[in-house]
Amino acid sequence: MNRKVLGAGLALALPLLVILFANLGRDPHAVESPLIGHPAPPFSLSPVEGGPPVFLASLKGRPVVLNFWATWCIPCIEEHAALASAAERTGNDAQFLGVVYEDEAPQVQRFLEQHGKAYPSLLDGDGKTAIAYGVYGVPETYFIDTQGTIVAKFVGPLDPPTLEAHLALARGQKP
Amino acid sequence: MTRLFPALLLAAATATPGPSSGGRDATDGVRAVVGAPRGGPVTASDLDARTKEVAALLRCPVCQGLSVADSPATMAMKMKAEVREMVAAGYDQDQVLAYFERSYGEFVRLKPPLRGVNWLVWFAPLMGLLVGGGVVAWALRGPKDGAPRTTTSAPLDVDALPEDPALVPYVLKVRELAYGWPAGVRPKAEPS
Repeated sequence: MNRKVLGAGLALALPLLVILFANLGRDPHAVESPLIGHPAPPFSLSPVEGGPPVFLASLKGRPVVLNFWATWCIPCIEEHAALASAAERTGNDAQFLGVVYEDEAPQVQRFLEQHGKAYPSLLDGDGKTAIAYGVYGVPETYFIDTQGTIVAKFVGPLDPPTLEAHLALARGQKP
Repeated sequence: MTRLFPALLLAAATATPGPSSGGRDATDGVRAVVGAPRGGPVTASDLDARTKEVAALLRCPVCQGLSVADSPATMAMKMKAEVREMVAAGYDQDQVLAYFERSYGEFVRLKPPLRGVNWLVWFAPLMGLLVGGGVVAWALRGPKDGAPRTTTSAPLDVDALPEDPALVPYVLKVRELAYGWPAGVRPKAEPS
């Protein structure tokens, strides 16, 4: 009888243990973006410092790095230097864009004056662009290829090698 | 100069809006995803109720298990505003949910639709109940040969000893205390 109970207990517990161990180390909040491989949602957003709105569709032909960020987000501050130096290095080979997430223009302008501004940051006051891209929080970075297709999404602060690897994907190079 | 050149290119880009780059002043970005509104116009009095109904089916992406309708988070408020705008424009519930699902995945739906492995979510509890009921019925089943059902309270063999030798002294002690048997062993029946 005890053997039967033990067998039944194992039969029930083993699959659960296998599932547990197979998923240890996986972030339960990480949901893969369904937009990967699909056209990037269009937007037209005004730069934080004013001027005409930026249309995503008019950037076709160049890879786009679309970084959702905020001044109150510490990982965004951490990755700022990596993004700025990559934007300066790639020049017109790729278009870097920031999209301000739940933040105010004056704070953003002050931040960019202090930390350097290598590419435009756009205001998304009503959050429609963040919603269209399925943003969960900041920082989140979308890599869009020359055809306007989202090829990758990176959640969290980017370091230079990760940024370079994702940018290569957006350029159409094999990783 | 390296800084100026991309800036110039961007300026050129902003001057010529592409055909698909909607200003999102209405819900044209939505239309590209879910098509033309399928529902009729919504009256002002209905709008709040309908918005709440649909927003209650959407998961707030920055909260833990709260719906967009219930969450006070800024992101949820913005999603609710988007739902309201879509409902006002005549999009029906399925279209609104499909729009959010396109960007956030099925995770954004608080009620998983009946498709794929989701069938399990809906029917596994029922299956579990049936299987559990079957197991209980099997455990309580009567004898196979149609013999009269005996109760489980069959007379207990009070002289039997446990298989585990370590338990034997305890059982004997209990019998000694409970029945007054010397050393826990039933005294030989005296001839009457």
